[in-house]
Amino acid sequence: MPATPSTIELDGLEVQLGGRTILHGLTGVLKSRAIGLLGPNGAGKSTLINTLLGFHSPSKGSARVLGLDSHTNGKALRALVGYMPENDAFISKMSGVRFVRYMAEIAGLPPEQAMERAHEAFVYVGLGEARYRPVGTYSLGMKQLAKLAQAIAHGPKVLILDEPTNGMDPPARKRLIELIKEIREASDICLLLSSHLLRDVEETCDEVLILRNGRIASICNLIEERRANRKFLEMETSGAEATFTAALESLGCECAVFAHGRMKIVMPENVEIREVFKVAADRGVQIRRMNHRRDSLETIFLNAMEQTGVADGRL
Amino acid sequence: MAVYKRRYNSYLGSLTPAWSRFYVLTRYAFADLFKSRVFVMLFILAIVPILFYAGYIFVANNKTFQLIMQIRSAGFLTVENQFFVILIIAQAELAFLLNCWVGPTLISGDLTNGALPLFLSRPFSRAEYVLGKLAVLAILLSAVTWIPALLLFSLQSGLGAHGWAWSHLWMVVPMVLCSAIWILMLSLISLAVSAWVKLRIVATGIIFIAFFIPAGLGGIYNAIMSTYWGDLLNFSGLFRDIVTHSLRADSPGADFARWNQIPIPVAWAMLALVCIFSLLLLNARLRAREVVRG
Repeated sequence: MPATPSTIELDGLEVQLGGRTILHGLTGVLKSRAIGLLGPNGAGKSTLINTLLGFHSPSKGSARVLGLDSHTNGKALRALVGYMPENDAFISKMSGVRFVRYMAEIAGLPPEQAMERAHEAFVYVGLGEARYRPVGTYSLGMKQLAKLAQAIAHGPKVLILDEPTNGMDPPARKRLIELIKEIREASDICLLLSSHLLRDVEETCDEVLILRNGRIASICNLIEERRANRKFLEMETSGAEATFTAALESLGCECAVFAHGRMKIVMPENVEIREVFKVAADRGVQIRRMNHRRDSLETIFLNAMEQTGVADGRL
Repeated sequence: MAVYKRRYNSYLGSLTPAWSRFYVLTRYAFADLFKSRVFVMLFILAIVPILFYAGYIFVANNKTFQLIMQIRSAGFLTVENQFFVILIIAQAELAFLLNCWVGPTLISGDLTNGALPLFLSRPFSRAEYVLGKLAVLAILLSAVTWIPALLLFSLQSGLGAHGWAWSHLWMVVPMVLCSAIWILMLSLISLAVSAWVKLRIVATGIIFIAFFIPAGLGGIYNAIMSTYWGDLLNFSGLFRDIVTHSLRADSPGADFARWNQIPIPVAWAMLALVCIFSLLLLNARLRAREVVRG
């Protein structure tokens, strides 16, 4: 049985634009079906997306999506892709449904099927009522949804979303995120989502590629991270003795004790905070301050940003 | 799948052949064009003279009609190469006007709101994009230049004396070729302008300027330098020279007269050069993503 190709494979990918190196030899394999692309402004997220789409040629190395090289198999790769760009991308005088039908026909759908799928896509993204209005008259949020409709109308295998929730109000953003999750669940589509909003990525993606200054700062599998997620407590106590620490350790906690009654505890999944309070009460220990923290994507992102040992695009 | 079923589905149906997809652009552009009354009026304006030419051919070949209308000196009613030279040149001017209306909006509409990356993120190349847009103008301008010319040629062949068609068959290729270079040049110039200029009125103005200002400058250069090489900038003039020469309708003593005109191969080369320059302009502008240097 042939091995399933990785969703994205980067092999020493270097991209130069305008005489500047934007991506510095990125190397990594991303296997999940939903991949988030994170990084501060200028990190190279959009350049990476444009390279995957074949808009930019690598100066060194290669990038493959579903086993297809973005440079040498660009056309075959783009036949599998639905792309929602970050910036405005529409034909203002066309009605929404005609615009999506047009794009579907360019992707190769026969006119009748393109028309049918355009209507379906418009209704699906929640713009059914506005589909006969010119796209130029849409609000910012509606334009985002129209862009999503054109990206999914031809039934792609890979959906590339560049900052999909840009300019959307919270309810619209929530609805779009739900749509993206629904699309992911409803089919075997692969998703590449670039966003500044960690929450968007956290809610929709299984794996994260974090870029910094054109280099890979981190590749993190969120599923595994969530599985291994442990609860951290930072406490300031009074009257704590060795018996208190021993009691916590007997619950399965890992404890580190510092001066002035400060403690750091890593709790296993099956232990709740109230059990810590109970142990403290039983031993007459006062808990004067407690911070409860989960290892979130934000932590992973901030850690990646703080790292200094990134060389040659490798982690 | 019915529209009311709000669920995402992959598409598993058939696809159109990749080579035919450029025509989607052409089809949509034509659908938009025929919604414009101005375009329809211009198109009719460009077609109407054909009816007069057809009438002329009918009269020139109908002795009964000439007698009824008491046209005595029927000698001037001839349909020879000079007739087709006038036809091609006149229709080429009308094609220019049509092109000035249609061309400027063809690409600018896609570039204004950044739709180009959507085309190019599909299995669709920049060359196919240009071909699709070029086909709009090529079909349209052909419909008012060489296609009616060939139809009138066929009409004359049917109505004319026995053997006319055979003796004039050589004109077919020059008529098509001369029209083709003119159409190609007009189309590429207007596409290049459309790619760089968003406003229709400005783009139309630039197309006019591209034809008339260089011609004027060329004339001034000729006058100052006492030469004829300034005519290289008069694209319409070069086209007229090419048509006249290709259809062997030069004035008597043309060989002598040609010594102070641009050589025909050079005229062809100049028009080809304008096409190449326009293509370079298009190539510089039609990018999925702009790269800022520095």
